[in-house]
Amino acid sequence: MSKSIARTLGSNASFVLALFARQLSASFALRASFFTSAVVMLINDAMFFSTWWVIMRRFGSVSGWNLEDVMCLFGVSASGFGVCVVVFGGVYDLARRVQEGELDTFLTQPKSVLFQALACRTQPSGWGDLAAGIGMFALSGVVSWSRSPWVVLAVLCSAINFTATAVVMHSLAFWIRRIHTLARSLWDFTVTFSLYPPSLFGGALRVVLFTLVPAGLVAYLPVEMLRTPRPLTVLAATGGTVLHAAFALWLFQRGSRHYTSGNRITT
Amino acid sequence: MSSDATLWVLPARPRRKLDKYVAIAALSFRQRLDDRAVLVGRVMFYAIILAIYSRLWQEVLGASGASLLGDRALGHSAASYVWYLAVTEWIMLAQPSVYLEIEADVRNGDVAYQLSRPLSYVGAKLSAALGELALRWLVLGASGLMLGRLFSGEWPNPEGLVGALLVGALAGLVMLLAYVAIGLSAFWLHDVTPIFLIWQKLSFVLGGLMLPIGIYPDWLRVIAEHTPFAALLYGPGQLVVQGGADNVLRLAVTLAAWGALFLMVVVLLERRARRNVCLHGG
Repeated sequence: MSKSIARTLGSNASFVLALFARQLSASFALRASFFTSAVVMLINDAMFFSTWWVIMRRFGSVSGWNLEDVMCLFGVSASGFGVCVVVFGGVYDLARRVQEGELDTFLTQPKSVLFQALACRTQPSGWGDLAAGIGMFALSGVVSWSRSPWVVLAVLCSAINFTATAVVMHSLAFWIRRIHTLARSLWDFTVTFSLYPPSLFGGALRVVLFTLVPAGLVAYLPVEMLRTPRPLTVLAATGGTVLHAAFALWLFQRGSRHYTSGNRITT
Repeated sequence: MSSDATLWVLPARPRRKLDKYVAIAALSFRQRLDDRAVLVGRVMFYAIILAIYSRLWQEVLGASGASLLGDRALGHSAASYVWYLAVTEWIMLAQPSVYLEIEADVRNGDVAYQLSRPLSYVGAKLSAALGELALRWLVLGASGLMLGRLFSGEWPNPEGLVGALLVGALAGLVMLLAYVAIGLSAFWLHDVTPIFLIWQKLSFVLGGLMLPIGIYPDWLRVIAEHTPFAALLYGPGQLVVQGGADNVLRLAVTLAAWGALFLMVVVLLERRARRNVCLHGG
């Protein structure tokens, strides 16, 4: 299984980059819309973060997390989310494509169906998230030049985990009908949880945050690696990401065996 | 029905006019009832937000945290803040996405033939949204009561709860008018999502969706108090904790004033939009 997954990843990396470049130039064709989406999302993120500013200004810290720590968490989540939806903007619609038979057109191509379905769209608003995340890193003061490789690795882990989370949830559409809304909701819940310090949650909820709604993989482990880059935290963040991504690829491949549709290929 | 009661019934012509809109609202209510996935998603999101913030308030108000709340705080227990959030989220999550429906009508041109029907386009959209709003009020209201009790560990003062629900419903109607106004801006802008997101985040910050504006820095609190957002969210949320019949009345009057203003904006936008459609040939 691991060999086949590695081969899939290798052969599709340049293809995804080419698709991304195409999507980007298509986005720039509607320049006003592109910049509006990105700027509004940046404002949106800044306004959301003001809640944390008010809380920390009043109380100083929450469960041992101060404003700089939360900025770091927000930086990882927002940047990771931004990269995910910019490169793989199709994550929003994957379950719908499966259910409505829209994978047909991708099946005729010599590249991975999953990567085509994910990279066939880009979300310009993701640039706003990415900008907000970078801004948070800069303001947090936690990040220095010597730590910047860890920042890049943390954002990369977060982006891969966001994508893997979406693929896992949307792949359920191969087995369960009308799952699209639920898959979107579960993804939204993961995003929501990834913006709050993990120390708030304990017990059974913590298990949920590393499985059903994997905010732990998406944000908590990458942030821990960034805050204290030790072999154990690096291994946990990168190892968790690799396993999660491998599981997502495997699940989609298993699911695609059940794929049936009316033929959408027309001449 | 006694003859006295019939005096209160509308004359036949206006009643027949109104019947069309009531029928649209009823139909929308039934249609949305079938769309259970959306309702379940909203209830789950409601539960998650209440779970997160109940933990957050317990954490910050534990030990000596309550002493840092300041003079304008709603209360000193985590339960007060959980009930506050249950009310503000109830108002916000119940809102239907009527602005997206209007935007879609404008984009795909459906609005042209809907304008020629023997009923007001905006009236029909508002009626359908009201049907959906009523359903969400019921479902999210019942869920909010159970979730609020679960995460706060206590019931709120009944008088405060009733006042908050009544004024919260009025706030929901005023917010709906604002959403319709945002939707009508599609006649000029085509994509109304940026305007909606800005409105939503202003509600978030200036309305005190998550945090009561009483704990904001003074300068931000003063700004928030002079906007409609505080009356739409903070006001009803404050009522569930602090109650008071005079507070209910004062807030209802403020909301009615904002509602009248938004209604004027909607009427103005609809008139201009009709002209816009004619100019472009429908």
